[in-house]
Amino acid sequence: MLRFLVARVLQSLVVLAIISVVVFVLARATGDPLYLILPMSASQEDFDNARRYLGLDRPYVEQYLSFVGRALTGDFGTSLRARRPVGELIGERLPNSLKLAVFAMTVSLAMAFPLGVMAAVKKGTGLDRTAQIVSVLGQSLPTFWVAILLVEFVAGRWQWLPAGGIDGLSSYILPGFTLGWFVVAGLMRLLRSGMLEVLDSEYVKLARLKGVDERRVIWMHALRNALIPVVTFAGIYFAILVTTAIVVETVFAWPGLGRLAYEGISSRDFPVIQAVVLTTAAIVAVVNLGVDCLYALIDPRIRHAR
Amino acid sequence: MRRVSALVSVFVLILASLGLVLAGPGSAQPKTELTVALSSFSTEVLDPPLGGHLVKYYLSMMFDYLVGTTPDGQLSREGGLATRWESSPDFKRWTFYLRKGVKFHNGDEVTAEDVKFSIMRNIGKRSTTGYAGPLRTLIADIETPASDRVVIITKEPTLIIPTYLSRSLSTEGMITPKKYIESVGDDVFARKPIGSGPYRFVEQVTGSHIKLAAVDNHWRIGTPKYKTMTFRLVPEEATRIALLRRGEVDVVEVSRDRVKEVEKEGYPIHYRREEAILTMWWILGPDGRVGPSKDKRVREAMNLAIDRAEIAQSIFGGKAEPAAIPLGLSWSFKDVGFKQTPDMLYPYDPARAKKLLADAGLASGFNLDVYAYQLPGLPEGKTMAEAVAGYWEKVGIKTRLIPVDYPAFRKAWFDRSAPGMVGYFNIANRDWIGAYALLEKQAYSASKPSDTVNDAEIDGMLSQVMRQTDREKINTLMRGVYGRLRSEHLGVPVVYLHSPYATSKTLGSWNAGSVMYDLFFDVLASGK
Amino acid sequence: MPAEPAAAVRPDAELIAPAGASPGAWRLPVFPLSVIGVFLLVALAAPLLGLPDPHEQSLRNRFKPPAWEEAGSWRHPLGTDRLGRDLLSRIVWGSRVSLAAGVLTVLLASAVGAAVGLSAGYYGGRVDAVLMRFTDATMSFPVILLALILAVTVGPSFTNVVVAIAVILWARYARVVRGQVLTLMQLDFVAQARIAGAGAWRIITRHLLPNTLGTLLVLVTLQIGYVIIVEASLSFLGAGIPPPTPAWGSMIAEGRDFVTSAWWVSLFPGLAILLVVLAFNLLGDWLRDTFDPKLRQL
Repeated sequence: MLRFLVARVLQSLVVLAIISVVVFVLARATGDPLYLILPMSASQEDFDNARRYLGLDRPYVEQYLSFVGRALTGDFGTSLRARRPVGELIGERLPNSLKLAVFAMTVSLAMAFPLGVMAAVKKGTGLDRTAQIVSVLGQSLPTFWVAILLVEFVAGRWQWLPAGGIDGLSSYILPGFTLGWFVVAGLMRLLRSGMLEVLDSEYVKLARLKGVDERRVIWMHALRNALIPVVTFAGIYFAILVTTAIVVETVFAWPGLGRLAYEGISSRDFPVIQAVVLTTAAIVAVVNLGVDCLYALIDPRIRHAR
Repeated sequence: MRRVSALVSVFVLILASLGLVLAGPGSAQPKTELTVALSSFSTEVLDPPLGGHLVKYYLSMMFDYLVGTTPDGQLSREGGLATRWESSPDFKRWTFYLRKGVKFHNGDEVTAEDVKFSIMRNIGKRSTTGYAGPLRTLIADIETPASDRVVIITKEPTLIIPTYLSRSLSTEGMITPKKYIESVGDDVFARKPIGSGPYRFVEQVTGSHIKLAAVDNHWRIGTPKYKTMTFRLVPEEATRIALLRRGEVDVVEVSRDRVKEVEKEGYPIHYRREEAILTMWWILGPDGRVGPSKDKRVREAMNLAIDRAEIAQSIFGGKAEPAAIPLGLSWSFKDVGFKQTPDMLYPYDPARAKKLLADAGLASGFNLDVYAYQLPGLPEGKTMAEAVAGYWEKVGIKTRLIPVDYPAFRKAWFDRSAPGMVGYFNIANRDWIGAYALLEKQAYSASKPSDTVNDAEIDGMLSQVMRQTDREKINTLMRGVYGRLRSEHLGVPVVYLHSPYATSKTLGSWNAGSVMYDLFFDVLASGK
Repeated sequence: MPAEPAAAVRPDAELIAPAGASPGAWRLPVFPLSVIGVFLLVALAAPLLGLPDPHEQSLRNRFKPPAWEEAGSWRHPLGTDRLGRDLLSRIVWGSRVSLAAGVLTVLLASAVGAAVGLSAGYYGGRVDAVLMRFTDATMSFPVILLALILAVTVGPSFTNVVVAIAVILWARYARVVRGQVLTLMQLDFVAQARIAGAGAWRIITRHLLPNTLGTLLVLVTLQIGYVIIVEASLSFLGAGIPPPTPAWGSMIAEGRDFVTSAWWVSLFPGLAILLVVLAFNLLGDWLRDTFDPKLRQL
């Protein structure tokens, strides 16, 4: 188990290294932040001064090495736009994204479980098809549109829920639902097909023959086996929720990581862009690692697979 | 199976009741808190030399200016730290007499030393405000003969010092505490700013909000009506309007397209009339004008091809008026005695436009890239660019829309990498000194790379304005500049924009003012 | 980067010849197929339909409601948008753009992904390790951020959208294909082919690839809808297919401020996306149920 863990961690580090190079190049390709930082009346001398002051005139390799060196100690540099340590900015925003992702994940699981199990059990019936369509709807509508419709009607006109910002638990509901609906579809389908397969298996047939109560068959035997891919995908989806909630964050004025990335890209703020992408990748890596461990614990065969 | 259905129903009920229980009624704002929802902040740095681009209202609450203005932008002795000012006969020594007994939020008294320190810091190399450069070249020294007197000595005679250090332009005139900054340093100051304004800093969460709290009593506004002022960043308009409906915010920026909808529901709308001129220009080449726009007839044709009235009516919901002078900042017109006559307005004449193009040998048209982007205060930017491009297509010009964001356009403009191509900006309206400052940047060849005009005669006139202290002569020169900008078609003016701000129904009357990038919240909060 | 669940793919002959439809699955997915068929037909036939020019703007006709509303007219059956352009025409022409974007992106991603997955699975060892690290790195990079960066760097365009999404999407295909190949490699027929002297190329193209096509087909179908949705989100953020090209995603984004006043501008393109994506998703589900329900990790 330990060897497995170590191998995985090393793999993650390699991945992060690759990403750090890619994002370094991409960030610098976005343009020159000086055009935004310096006023219109800036002279050539002002540009040169600013470049030197910000360390942007050093050779790229040197800039990259210094970036990586400091990143390893947790120093992500200073935001060119906000003139504050990037680490601080991320520290402010990341918890907001995490909290929203956790909330959305909870909502999705709460919805996906009954829907998925029920759809499998009542397969082929109108209930099954309705459940499928309702959940698939969540993946067939652009997120921002759902978000704006919710803001316009639920928040603005009917005034049932807050429209934006973070102000107590009720603020989580609309953005959480918007984010979560997308996930519900995926999880529900997984649960449904997983349950279908297991319900059809010898193991279950035997249990039924033995006269085990149908509810036990479903909830105890079948579900447990169907859980494995769900765990996998819950992990992946969670990572997606944290890292790609930028649309939801924009509509609901949620100060999270996605918004920070957007502002960083708009202002060509290299340190911010680099730091956010690396943080994102690190989160994905950690979540995947967790899922793999969980997985390996559940199914010992995995531990010894290639 | 009943069990499953039951479980599902329970889940749904739980979620629903959670929502209702936690939501509660949309609480009406108690009158002691003012909340404002904006579409964008400036750089979000709360340090005057680094912030204040395009949005400075929260800074104007935290800091005092050396020279104040009325909401209409006129320099005023009531609104700033200087109770009066005068210049020497040669206009090279400007003396400011300071108000006594003003304190910073940390208790330190505001003295001439602070004023000198602030000005030098605001125009220093680190500064990113728009007018630091010219001030740096102009100011030779600052003396502090007494604790309530500041003398600014300039290298050349000039009239601009009080305006440049006032509220009407940017943040160069904001006064910051010398002792505090010198002891904690720039970074800590930006994080915990201290000023002498009617509201002090409480907290900032970048990307979310800035919160200020009132001081007990302030010379500017007496006892502030609102105990706290919060500025919230809400990028999406639907959300801003929803917040207004829910009573969570008191003032919102609303786009011209949706203003009718909000008005119909009874929310008072405050307009800043002619807040900005939306004007387009051709990007210059490294040595001047390049491509078909070099020909005066082409420039005129491109102006005639646009139906400004239609654009004002439809895209801007009637909250705009056709403009006639490129880079023409109308608030300066009366200052310099410039009269815009009806014949200066371009008629919508596509037939004549086509003829002019043919005369210029371009009957089969030519290729033109039009940059399309949104700007703060101009959510209609891309729509407008598309519409104008459409008008040009109708007279045979083959347009291509280049959707970018403003930084990308600014780069192309400054690099002169896309000569002959068209971009635009909604330039904030201002008085003659501010207008001169703008023309000096965008209509003056020596101001590479931001120049968009490149005309020798205008260069001559503007350089004389710089050295002039005789108002009559200045006015004549400025009138000449405006006249020539129009007669030579040195740009494509589109419309003057009125900007709507919707407020809650209980807010009361408010003069939001017409100062660049500023909204007079202190007037709203005034206890006088 | 989860390990492929070895338990999920049973190494037996069922993989070579797809099993019959699982009991209870819809016989033939009539609804999805007809929807997709109609949209494809309309998209291909667009130039022949005699519709008004989708680029023709007329500010005076701005925001005209659909024909059945009071202020509407049958000249513009579905109304007009913010620049007075006919909405029906833009939806029809937009189908070409949106469908092309979806199809091209997944084809590109699947081609690259399959190539990588096949190589990694077949060669194994170092090749596999290196390729998989790149795959993992790609999967950890957020699609939307990459698209935004590209849009800001070289300006938004149709090509940018396709490339930005495909550049991240291929990793999914690579993983899945590799997982399948790993299992296939353990089967007898591969060993036999090797003994018979077949080279790598032959084995990959003749033996491995055909057996992954089923999976690829399912994945491709499911992902077309995803791409169309992502394009819509990109348009919202300013990085999608740029105006004046009609594309469903950008049409919804442009109309989002008029959800209550000019509801038709967002609603109709939104319905188009909903129908098409729903159809592709349902079709993909059916394909997966038919070919092999064990492919539940898709």
